[in-house]
Amino acid sequence: MKNYKKLFYLFGLVTVLAACNDAIDIDQPGRLDADAAFENVADLQAGLFGVYANYDLSGEIAFSSIFTDELSIGFDNGGQGLADYGFVLNAGSTAPATFWVGAYGAINSANRLIEAAELITPEAGEEDQYNSILGQAYALRALAHFFLQSYYTTNYEDDNALGVIAVDFVPTIDQQLLRNTNGEVFGLIGDDLDRAASLLGTDTSDPTFMNIDAVNALRARMAAYRGNYTLAATLSQQLLDKYGLANRAQYEAMFLDTDNTEIIFKLERTNNDPYDGQGATGSPAAGGWAGARFAFVDATLAGSPYFEMGRSLFNLLDPADIRYDVNVAPTSLIDPDYATNNDPATDILVIQKYPGSEGQPLMNDLKVFRSSEMLLIRAEAYADAGSINGATNSTAALLKQLNDARFGTDTTLPVFANETEAFAAILDARRIELSFEGHRYKDLKRLGARANQGVLKDPIDCAFNGACTLPASDFRFTLPLPIVEFNANPGLREQQNPGY
Amino acid sequence: MKSKLTWMLTPLLVLCMSFSFAQEKSISGVVTDQNGMPLPGVAVLVVGTTTGTQTDFDGNYTITARVGQVLRYSYLGQKTVTRTVGAESTMNVQMEDDAEALQEVVVQGYRNSTKEKSSIASVTISAETIENRPNASFVQTLSGQVAGLNITTSTGQPGAASNVNLRGVTSINGNTQPLYIIDGVPVDEDNFRSLNPQDIASVSVLKDAGATAIYGNRGANGVIVIKTRQGSFNQGLQVNYTGILSFSTLQDNDYNLMDSQEQLNLEALRGAGRGATLTDQEIALAPTFDWANYFFDTGLTQNHTVTLQSGSENFTQFTSLGYFDQEGILQDSNLKRFSIRSNTTGKSENEKFNYSTNLTINYSESNEPNSIGSGAINRNYILGAYQSVPYITPDDYTNGADLLSPLLFSNTPLFLIDRLETFTRKEEEVKLIGSFQAGYQITDNLSANVTMSADYQNEIETEAEGPTSFNALLFGGAENPTSGYQDQVSIRQFSYNQVTSLNYNNTWGKHTVDAGVYSEYFKAHLRTFGFRENGLDPKTFFPGDGAGFIPAFVDQSTGAQLFVDNPFATIRNAGLFSVFSQADYDYDGRYGITGTIRRDASYRFAGSNRYATFYSVAGRWNIDNEAFMENSFFDVLKLRASYGTSGNQRISGNTYFSAPDLTRNFFATGSGYGNNNSIFLSQIANTTLRWETVTQGNVGIDFELFNSRLRGSVDGYVKETSDLFQSTPVSAINAVTQLDANTGTLTNTGVDLTLNYNILNGGDDGVNLVLNFVGNYNKQELDELPSEDGELIGTGRNGGKLFEYFSIRYAGVNPANGNLLFLDANDNITENPDADTDRVWLDKNIYPDFNGSFGFNLDYKGFFFQTQFNYTVGVDRFDFDLSGFQNPDNIGQFRSSRDLLRAWTPDNRITDIPAYDAFNRASFASDRYITDADYIRLRFASIGYSFPARLLEGTGLSRLRIFGNAENLFTITKWRGFDAEALNNTSRLYPTPKTLSVGFELGF
Repeated sequence: MKNYKKLFYLFGLVTVLAACNDAIDIDQPGRLDADAAFENVADLQAGLFGVYANYDLSGEIAFSSIFTDELSIGFDNGGQGLADYGFVLNAGSTAPATFWVGAYGAINSANRLIEAAELITPEAGEEDQYNSILGQAYALRALAHFFLQSYYTTNYEDDNALGVIAVDFVPTIDQQLLRNTNGEVFGLIGDDLDRAASLLGTDTSDPTFMNIDAVNALRARMAAYRGNYTLAATLSQQLLDKYGLANRAQYEAMFLDTDNTEIIFKLERTNNDPYDGQGATGSPAAGGWAGARFAFVDATLAGSPYFEMGRSLFNLLDPADIRYDVNVAPTSLIDPDYATNNDPATDILVIQKYPGSEGQPLMNDLKVFRSSEMLLIRAEAYADAGSINGATNSTAALLKQLNDARFGTDTTLPVFANETEAFAAILDARRIELSFEGHRYKDLKRLGARANQGVLKDPIDCAFNGACTLPASDFRFTLPLPIVEFNANPGLREQQNPGY
Repeated sequence: MKSKLTWMLTPLLVLCMSFSFAQEKSISGVVTDQNGMPLPGVAVLVVGTTTGTQTDFDGNYTITARVGQVLRYSYLGQKTVTRTVGAESTMNVQMEDDAEALQEVVVQGYRNSTKEKSSIASVTISAETIENRPNASFVQTLSGQVAGLNITTSTGQPGAASNVNLRGVTSINGNTQPLYIIDGVPVDEDNFRSLNPQDIASVSVLKDAGATAIYGNRGANGVIVIKTRQGSFNQGLQVNYTGILSFSTLQDNDYNLMDSQEQLNLEALRGAGRGATLTDQEIALAPTFDWANYFFDTGLTQNHTVTLQSGSENFTQFTSLGYFDQEGILQDSNLKRFSIRSNTTGKSENEKFNYSTNLTINYSESNEPNSIGSGAINRNYILGAYQSVPYITPDDYTNGADLLSPLLFSNTPLFLIDRLETFTRKEEEVKLIGSFQAGYQITDNLSANVTMSADYQNEIETEAEGPTSFNALLFGGAENPTSGYQDQVSIRQFSYNQVTSLNYNNTWGKHTVDAGVYSEYFKAHLRTFGFRENGLDPKTFFPGDGAGFIPAFVDQSTGAQLFVDNPFATIRNAGLFSVFSQADYDYDGRYGITGTIRRDASYRFAGSNRYATFYSVAGRWNIDNEAFMENSFFDVLKLRASYGTSGNQRISGNTYFSAPDLTRNFFATGSGYGNNNSIFLSQIANTTLRWETVTQGNVGIDFELFNSRLRGSVDGYVKETSDLFQSTPVSAINAVTQLDANTGTLTNTGVDLTLNYNILNGGDDGVNLVLNFVGNYNKQELDELPSEDGELIGTGRNGGKLFEYFSIRYAGVNPANGNLLFLDANDNITENPDADTDRVWLDKNIYPDFNGSFGFNLDYKGFFFQTQFNYTVGVDRFDFDLSGFQNPDNIGQFRSSRDLLRAWTPDNRITDIPAYDAFNRASFASDRYITDADYIRLRFASIGYSFPARLLEGTGLSRLRIFGNAENLFTITKWRGFDAEALNNTSRLYPTPKTLSVGFELGF
């Protein structure tokens, strides 16, 4: 009897101990361990799609258009964007945090892919794909660093000024890095683009991926930003020659995502991708359909446009210009006497740059580099070199070339009295051509002084808050480093941009 | 032949038997208590037979028995009496109080003790204070009844979970709710809507480390032990019915909202909205419609419970059936519940083996609108109720399509009417809780026990936005005319818990020892799956049914992929394993000490720190039992002290399954660029992950004075959470800006006080009046925060309160120009503070410093009257609703407060409302709308009458009681919103209602 009892307790003990591990050693299903994530070139390709998914222009589009003079508060506005619209910008604002965190997230993903690729040897026949993946990863890392540079450094042309933190490795969580100089960051970007150029093939048929032309377009833009107009001229001319300008039909189709004539690189946006949604409305946090930056529902009068086109921009648009048709929704209500009538209900300028595609209102591909931008960079280079007038090889000639394409007629050749006028014309041309594409803020920052221009809203658009003008020399044309970074990296507080 | 003989003999045998039955005689008598008062309901049983009866209201009984048989008289709280039937036919019995049974039982984790011998800080609430309240969840009813237990309900959704914090919050990101054990089953603390509160016999709240250490890494937030009702041995069948009917209405607000004329005139003045287009005469004629009255209305609740209980010599049973149907005050919100419970207990003839089973099966169905609290004008009904302009009326609504153009914000209520008509969100739930407990007395001192228990719930959510709804048309657009969606999600959760133990107890001389060794095994499984169907055909669509589903297709003209559906599924498993031991020693009823040690393993920390050890020591001194206290006015005076640790392994998220493997680096696959399948980083490992430890010291005194007329207890505690799991900032170069890590401490220091005083002791025929007071003071202090300067925005600062507000200080309106004024960090007035550097710590947070209740219980003969006032001091909340009503930019779209009428103008310079066009009116987040939300509320009042037994004689009823209840009848507060109670800074919440009930109880 006693033995039985012992046996019983022994049995109990065994049950208890066996059960123990079953309760505390649990592997959740569906987990992908880091060391199993990238095992071959196909995995790297999937990883590259993940890297691209970090790239978005919607935040830039929102911020640049609200903060500058591209739009006005719509009749259907529910309080969206009032702070940015009133030039309120500080270390706690949304744009500095979103841009900073978003771009470093993109850089981190590119670095992880580059590190993973180092451990993989491509199978025979996969070398080109492997090189292309790696080349795109370098190009994307350069693109994100350049994006950060364009917002957080005070002076693009000064290599000794503070740039952003250059990160070409996978960091550890305890790292607290300080800012590099512009020279260092632009150096890294240049090296990355060189690496990318050496790895990318010659195929440029798909403008939705970073190819060699996109690398050169980035080089051209960077050269222009940095005032290195010799290089900018060469590269922009090459690309302009290759792509040319779209005709009026192609131009319209481009913004319906059915024509790529002028497109060097664009970010694809499609049904059910990570950006297929409304995103944060009225905020640079954005993240959804590009058109949802201006309207809740669609790009028509009935689509609840919470932002409308700014009157000062609208007044620059000629109805004969195809860009009028592209930018202004036909359902808009246009009051020629808006200034005297002063009735928001009779003058509703609905922004139509992102009408939607693939059956999804407001969802459009995000154009990163277009050949018209190359033309305008070339025009800048001419202006910088003093070739402002003349029927060929001048700023005036290029601006006429652009207008001819957009109007579909032979337009008059402009004549500029001086360099300031020429730069002002370039700035206006960029304002029209690249409206709502996220350029205006950076253009004012770098060209505003030479063009003697700043933010200029129509008085009707700023009567309610008095925030009508902002000179290009204002400190707010450089974003502050965000508080969210200071929390982890307090040493950076010492390196905050001036004015904040 | 033989068989025939048997046949013939049988009637004879029967006759013989009948003959002996005829020998039985009838015995009658009166059963009285020790004071000679008749005792009704005493069970009288002929031992060894099934013959039994009960005494009537005058204590009389009659039973038939043979001479020599034994009669057993039993009654709860009285010592059982046995008498042998002799020659007499009248047997009067006087019973004696059973002192031991009458001693309040104190639940102590895995064992029970008496109040006298308990060394722990705990409070037990009996059924009387829980039953008959109209709340779907008993947790809501507990509010204010236990010192240190702060219960807030932030939504009026019937059956919604309340927030429960015992002695402050002990975790930032993890679980802060106590562990709930129902009849030995640890249950999901977020889900009590399916349980019938009428089944509860007692709720014990275990507060100090002495009580909670035995629950190891689940006990950090305190433990609430719930026992459901049981039958009694040797008890005849008792049937009870309770029916309650309740009416709920919206609580009042103090926002002073405009009527249509005021609103339209203001719009005309501002040139915004409909008012700008109307003539003065049209404005004068505009109707004022109360949208709050439209989206909210009186909610009717009915609650029926039937219970049956009985017991024989070795078996008892309790059965209950419940039906509960509550309409929320918000349209489209309700809860219907059907519940069955069966509890049985049994024991062997020699009483060595005993067992019990508890099983409850519940089905509930609730409509729960979502988007509550959001700013979605087309989804949040509450927004429609509060913020809709009053000049639009429901008559303006035709259908969803007509609202598309013009699309106006001011049509908010019409969008929401459309949603009421076309949107469905329903949760159906089956919940089963079962447990089996068995014990075997191996020797006189040694017993083996096992408790096996399971908690199963299957929740099915159905959500559908009809294809003809405004929202479907709006977002579908012309391309997708048959838009709309339907979600169906099934969430199944099963948990199994088993505790096996060996227990020893012995008493010799003045010594009593009680000790046990235990092992506990816990495993939980989560399975969810569901889908979103996009595209519904209005001809065949019905919410929850699939007839109207439209398959996905590619629109050839646009290339659009339409109606792509989205299926999803999750599997999660969780587990814990523990061994522990507890020993209790008592000397002479004067001194006692209890020690606990527990070793715990959690699946969460498998990759870092799997095992943890928790312990506690508790002691007591029953001063009143000392000889020198012989003639003092203290009836009870006991000093308690305890110290120990318990843990929180649910350090992140609120379920068994959240954050299951934070110790590993993960990538994930899913939709990437261009909707291509992609691989991306999903989790950065924390390799030093561990549980949070709560170390608590507690000193308490229990006392009863003046013949126990003044009773109470006071406890002081210090409770420190170390290894606080919280967000630690990391540089954005890591792709995240924060990672959670075990760092920092949070200390709750406080005092619990409970007092009851019998002012009037009139006895059964006089007036009895008891005053009650329950109070808690709690102070929080953060320390060792993971940042250089000891400050973490959003969390707090070293030495400060948890979630202390950090903001720019608002300083009123500039009389010169009507702009807002603020204080900068150096206390200088400015219109342009720095949004970063001028923020300061405000020494305010959302948690109370003091909270509790007071009230009285009054009874006279059968009449009773009871009140409970809850109070809260030290709560500060953002009143974003007020901010909306005072926002001049909302004019034309939403409703305004009359406060705006006193906005700054050159003629009205001294005011608290800035100029409509103040340039900085939307520029800075400040403390302008942080409002004192302290309150005193009549949380509960009840009045009723229990019919005396003699009035019921001959009616067949043994009990009849009628009563009326009120919940949240009125609130005194500076808070201007609808509900001061919510522990939430979100605006547009669903407020808890004011409820009036009538009910009656019948016993058979």
